[in-house]
Amino acid sequence: MKGALMTTTTNLEGIPMMKKMMMAAALATGLGGAPAFADGHANSVTLQLQWVTQAQFAGYYVALDKGFYEEEGLDVKILAGGPDIAPPQVLAGGGADAMLNWMPSALAAREKGLPVVNIAQPFKSSGLMLTCWKDTGITGPQDFKGKTIGVWFFGNEYPFLSWMSQEGISTDGGEDGVTVLKQGFNVDPLLQREADCISTMTYNEYGQVLDAGVNPDELVTFKYEEQGVATLEDGIYVLEENLADPVFEDKMVRFVRASMKGWKYAEANPEEAAGIVLDNDETGAQTEAAQVRMMGEIAKLTAGSNGALDPADFDRTVASLLAGGSDPVITKAPEGAWTHAITDKALN
Amino acid sequence: MSLVFAALVVWAAGWWINVRLANGPSADSTVVKILVPAIFGLTVVVIWELLVQGFEVNPVILPAPSAILERLLVEGPRLWADFHQTIIKGAMSGYVIGGLAAFCVAVLADRSDFLTRGILPVGSFMAALPIVGTAPIFVKWLGSDWESKAAVVAVMVFFPILVNTVAGLRDTTVMQRDLMRTYGAGYWPTLFKLRLPAAMPFVFNGLKIATTLALIGAIVAEFFGSPTVGMGFRISTSFGQLALDMVWAEIVIAALAGSTFYGVMTLIEKRMTFWHPSQR
Amino acid sequence: MKSVLPVLTVIGAIVLFWLAAVVPMNMHLVADQAQRDGLVVMPETPVERQEYGGIGLSLRNLHLVPLTYDFVRPRLPSPQQVASEMYDTIFDKKITSKRSLVYHGWVTLAPTLLGFVIGTSLGIMLAVGIVYSRVMDRSVMPWAIVSQTIPILALAPMVIVVLGSMGIQGLFPKSLIAAYLSFFPVVVGMVKGLRAPDAMQLDLLRTYHASGAQGFWALRLPASTPYLFASLKIGISASLVGTIVAELPTGARAGFGARMLVGDQYGQPLVSWAALFAAALTAAALVGLFSMIERITLKRMGMSAA
Repeated sequence: MKGALMTTTTNLEGIPMMKKMMMAAALATGLGGAPAFADGHANSVTLQLQWVTQAQFAGYYVALDKGFYEEEGLDVKILAGGPDIAPPQVLAGGGADAMLNWMPSALAAREKGLPVVNIAQPFKSSGLMLTCWKDTGITGPQDFKGKTIGVWFFGNEYPFLSWMSQEGISTDGGEDGVTVLKQGFNVDPLLQREADCISTMTYNEYGQVLDAGVNPDELVTFKYEEQGVATLEDGIYVLEENLADPVFEDKMVRFVRASMKGWKYAEANPEEAAGIVLDNDETGAQTEAAQVRMMGEIAKLTAGSNGALDPADFDRTVASLLAGGSDPVITKAPEGAWTHAITDKALN
Repeated sequence: MSLVFAALVVWAAGWWINVRLANGPSADSTVVKILVPAIFGLTVVVIWELLVQGFEVNPVILPAPSAILERLLVEGPRLWADFHQTIIKGAMSGYVIGGLAAFCVAVLADRSDFLTRGILPVGSFMAALPIVGTAPIFVKWLGSDWESKAAVVAVMVFFPILVNTVAGLRDTTVMQRDLMRTYGAGYWPTLFKLRLPAAMPFVFNGLKIATTLALIGAIVAEFFGSPTVGMGFRISTSFGQLALDMVWAEIVIAALAGSTFYGVMTLIEKRMTFWHPSQR
Repeated sequence: MKSVLPVLTVIGAIVLFWLAAVVPMNMHLVADQAQRDGLVVMPETPVERQEYGGIGLSLRNLHLVPLTYDFVRPRLPSPQQVASEMYDTIFDKKITSKRSLVYHGWVTLAPTLLGFVIGTSLGIMLAVGIVYSRVMDRSVMPWAIVSQTIPILALAPMVIVVLGSMGIQGLFPKSLIAAYLSFFPVVVGMVKGLRAPDAMQLDLLRTYHASGAQGFWALRLPASTPYLFASLKIGISASLVGTIVAELPTGARAGFGARMLVGDQYGQPLVSWAALFAAALTAAALVGLFSMIERITLKRMGMSAA
């Protein structure tokens, strides 16, 4: 009986000394001034996605499956994202050559000391929207006062905070402000009426609300594009220092060219694209119906773009972010945050 | 490179000091007992600072301890609000609820060997439910506020406290129980005067294990839905904003809170089980 | 074996409670859906229904009760929904298919086992160090306890990023995080176990003129075996949890954790629940396996399980 019972279960930690020694060793070999290529090969590209495999990234999977990357002589590896992955961090650590990111998040990363540069912008319009129950009586943004709104965070909160700031509504709760809820990764807060409104993407969560049986006329929606507060979404970003290397620049040109070919193919063939995405989904939990719907909606967002960033869109995004009042996402207009160097060569 | 070399020197010096202290004449005094781990910890922090500066590690990946300290000092009120939400409202309530439930179930199970043999394996199954799965479910059921976090914590601490209490209640010798019978003591007096006090060392073992589980449970559960305050919320949001110094500041608070909680339980244990060989 | 009946009784009681709970938990969502499908629901508007709790609403809408057991997107799936989803994904799918829980089980199990091996070896080495060196005992042990309070979910991404930058991806980073969690119980258990022999036994070995190493192999290590097994059982369970946690920062691509996450995100709660139960069952099976090994080993060594 001598103390034989040590029943501990979950989440017990290891020894800090060992961990810190390992980290020190890893840092020494991995980061100390090492070149930032994922592997240094002139034809190898690693892309870090922003979320799990879904039709939001169809263009890249299509380019991979249909051999567009191969045609350009590239060996491309696509890394899925997830809830605990910050693509800028992966880029900083040299784990990827390029990442997908929303522009507000990328600009914030630039201010934090990670010089990422936009080399292509496949998504012309924003798919972000707020979906509310109609019976809450909300008809316009000023009705958000006193309501509970779900926001995802992890990079998606910037457009919302900017918008509220421009409307003059505080996000600290109370009668005259909005109570913000950090939404988990699903639409339950709306369905179970914990929140009056939730953040949804036109191509994903909105469809899920409908799938749960809700009729569109029970809802009132606010698309950020229509409210004039949209920011640019999925763009391809790389580290500034890598662009100085002609070998890297060349492979990015080929990569962007093949990726845009993939996107245009996906737009024209949504069902096939959804099928390709499903094949690449390792969890086996995605359904065809949801992915086909997603592809259809994504096609609307990529339709206006050939891959080159429109500087007017960039300026609009920056203006929206700078107007963020007391807690702006970025404190000054960024310089050198985008380049046409890659798309000029890729698309001409 | 000189900074890296300095780090090695600091490591060697710290180790040497600790060796002298631990093997020296006053090795068993309280001062030395605190000093040795403190020096060890300080050495690690200094080495961390030197290596981060020496290798010019990007702060987006690993911030230097100086940056973390600055963040701790600057963000005091926010850190306190997070602490209040997660630890006091989430972890503490869950700890108390789970502990009381486990205690009651253990006393109940104690009356029947049948029940004991049935509950323990089921309890161990419950303990094996990964928090990554249970947290979203509780958030779905109880909303995003502290109640769901308390529920997650209660489930996590239930089994360790239960198992230890059951073992403790059994830990009386036949002679001791016979003695109570000679005094004409029924079940309840025996329970309160003999078996519960005898069970205290085991109960406290379970309670101490549960302190760290409670902390981790509350923080991790906040990753899956929370109001805009709380340690788990702050860690995940700051991580998304690449404010790694805030992430580490919260980690430091978590470590301090957990160790203090553990320390407080140890002190209470010392007072209540002063008679046990391990405390003498 | 004599535990089978009590366990079944307790499980039976829990299942009965579960069956009863399904109704109030799902009633609000079922009522919303029933109203869209044209059935009569009291009270009429969703906002009014929010005033009632699950039980109150159920009592007012008894005709909707059967619907709660087969709802597509339940808050609390009924036992038979979970069982049939598990049966479907374990037995009705090819083992190599991505939709098979067995496949995902293996994806989670592989780093669990590797991480467990790494964690146990390191844990034993550290325990030996703590028992034989006063410096390590005094300096490392308190920090080991403090380290338990650091949430691994916050550190895991950094570990993965650093290893990723070194080109190490896939199995090893997940195993490392799993090892990180299974490490500590082994250290604590082995330290207690290696210190278990009492003064008389240690003296006896000194009279035999046994060296430190001989004393270790002949006395301390065998005496620690019961403690070692207790720790191994906790360690394997912690290793599984660690692997599942590690699946989040590595892209939630495959494995139980990925299934739980993606099922939750894409409105398929049954996928989540099935993965949850499968993970717990896997942990229980592993612990049971170790219990069996423990019984056999200790019997051969002449010690009964402590």
